[in-house]
Amino acid sequence: MEKFSFKDVLILFAGLFITAGIAYAILTITGFIPLDIAKLFYEGAFVGQRNILNTLNIATPYILTSVATVISFRVGMFNIGINGSMYVGALYAAWAGYRFTTLGEYTHVVVCMLVAMAVGSLWMLLPALLRVYAGVSEIISTIILNFVAVLFVSYMCNGPFREAPIAPTTPRILETAELTQYFPNSQFNTGFFIAVFVAFLTYFVLNKTTFGYELRSGGDGLVGFYPSRYSTYLGIPSNRSAITGMLISGAIGGLAGGLEVLGNTRNFYQEMNFNQGFDGILIAIIGKLEPLGGLISSLFFAAFKNGGLFVDYKTEVSREIVVILIAILIFFVSSQKLVNSLERFKIIQKLDNFFSRKVK
Amino acid sequence: MEWFEIFDISLFRSLIRSATPIALIGFGAAMCSAAGVLNIGLEGKMLNAAFIGIAASYYSGSALTGFICGVLAGVLTAVLFGVLSYNLGADEVLAGLAINIFAIAGTRYLLETLFKRRGFFSDPSIQGIDPIEIGFLKDTRLEQFLSGYTPSIYLVFFLAVVLYFVYYRTRLGTAIRATGENPEAAEDAGINTLRMKWLTVIFSGVLAGIGGTFLSLENMTLFTEGMSAGKGYIGLVASSFGNNTPLGTFGASIFFGLGDAIGIRLQGVYELDSRLILMIPYALTVIILVLIGVRQIYRVRKVPIESKE
Repeated sequence: MEKFSFKDVLILFAGLFITAGIAYAILTITGFIPLDIAKLFYEGAFVGQRNILNTLNIATPYILTSVATVISFRVGMFNIGINGSMYVGALYAAWAGYRFTTLGEYTHVVVCMLVAMAVGSLWMLLPALLRVYAGVSEIISTIILNFVAVLFVSYMCNGPFREAPIAPTTPRILETAELTQYFPNSQFNTGFFIAVFVAFLTYFVLNKTTFGYELRSGGDGLVGFYPSRYSTYLGIPSNRSAITGMLISGAIGGLAGGLEVLGNTRNFYQEMNFNQGFDGILIAIIGKLEPLGGLISSLFFAAFKNGGLFVDYKTEVSREIVVILIAILIFFVSSQKLVNSLERFKIIQKLDNFFSRKVK
Repeated sequence: MEWFEIFDISLFRSLIRSATPIALIGFGAAMCSAAGVLNIGLEGKMLNAAFIGIAASYYSGSALTGFICGVLAGVLTAVLFGVLSYNLGADEVLAGLAINIFAIAGTRYLLETLFKRRGFFSDPSIQGIDPIEIGFLKDTRLEQFLSGYTPSIYLVFFLAVVLYFVYYRTRLGTAIRATGENPEAAEDAGINTLRMKWLTVIFSGVLAGIGGTFLSLENMTLFTEGMSAGKGYIGLVASSFGNNTPLGTFGASIFFGLGDAIGIRLQGVYELDSRLILMIPYALTVIILVLIGVRQIYRVRKVPIESKE
């Protein structure tokens, strides 16, 4: 896949304008005043310390899930099951959080995160093996495993991990396993920095190391072509890189779930509902399947989401409108022919050459 | 109650009811896969159809209008998928995913905006589609097996036979299969592969529409958020387990329906956690995926590796 080029940015902005227009139309039809809603939206996302912190806190899982998506898509595997990894990661982070009682302050948090990553990664093992050795579409197997994960964690926190009769939740994690919340008025916590660190680390590993090159070559640089002839010519076993990529992607997904428990909720409860895995895919696509692109677009997405929550709270407008608009935006961004048709215009070609370095 | 007592007529009937939406989606998915289209968006098409079906039935007070609008919603979503994939050059998987996410959020939004509800919607003024009694079976032993189902269930049996003939015995079926197996050769033979893909996508949209309205207007008359619950994906697995053939898909769907029905009935026999029961169709799907994998491994070994160049 090519790096960000000028025409991609152009289509992104054009898409944003069109979706804003659609939002305007929807709001007018349903009897709201769009400009007032927009004002509230902006306020909810960016104004005041509390709202900004909440936006950053909401961004945390999105950063991780989009990075997880980036890795799996770049090795040529369509991992749709990051949501499943999140669920099991969150559950087992909570388990490790109350079960290991003798660990010190820092080791305990780290162990909890490692457990979440290990479980999330194991969750992806079956789809990866099925894809590589038996040619079963990883798309379908990971999606189905999402459904299994939801019911599995809900069973576990009702059954084996349930804190005696009170409610279908796991016991609260010990204080040694908590990630620090810095401000009294927000759940913003260390998890955000961990997520940003993971995004930068992924950027470095994927683009600057031999290991990353091996991973990328498995995907042929294109989305969705796992058995890559290119990497076979290079002498890189694409089987190995595909499986490794899936496992790393699952691990980061598990970490996303784990951070939610360790930083925000402090226990796993039955109603816990993750959608970040799916949204992470959309975010990663908007970010052009680059880790840092994912980081930036998850910050924007989180701002959208937080603004949407604020609007939902203040008015009758449903928060779902944000996801609808993002899906419409994806329709534009993923339309490759639409992007390429821009090349007809001379000026765009020139700007494109000016701004982008083509990678062959 | 002993465990073997669950094998009775009501198990058979609930099996048929569970298998129907999966088979409808499966037929569409089989045709798409045969033409080389990976149609992930079926789930979204089904959900849209289920919602629009129930909304139209609520406003018009007529089950037929609900059904027609539901199917139209399925077709329109399929057209959106086709336009994105073939006219605008989006990746099929990404287009399908975006459509699914769009459908989940969109139906939820409309549920809250139109009906001011969260979670589910049900109203006495919604007209469901009534079961059909087959006249000549009346008072015979077959009546309790074959009569009194809703129209879509009969449609599934009908389609299984019709599609079998279309798939193997007609020029159209050959063209569809050629499109999937070897697009270049198909083009050389004068087949418009793009048209074949469009055809299967629209066809799967119609079936997903019928499947969606089956969920919301026939099986029950209510809408719940995310009501399709992965049936779109399970249908894909059914078609892939059935080798993308109509009869194979039908058999696989019956198998899924059987697992579902047995799970529900076992709940009455043993004290099982309801979540484990709910997990049965998905767990069954995973098992079937593994079986597909095992079959594939043996099949791949027979073919020289480089021949697919």
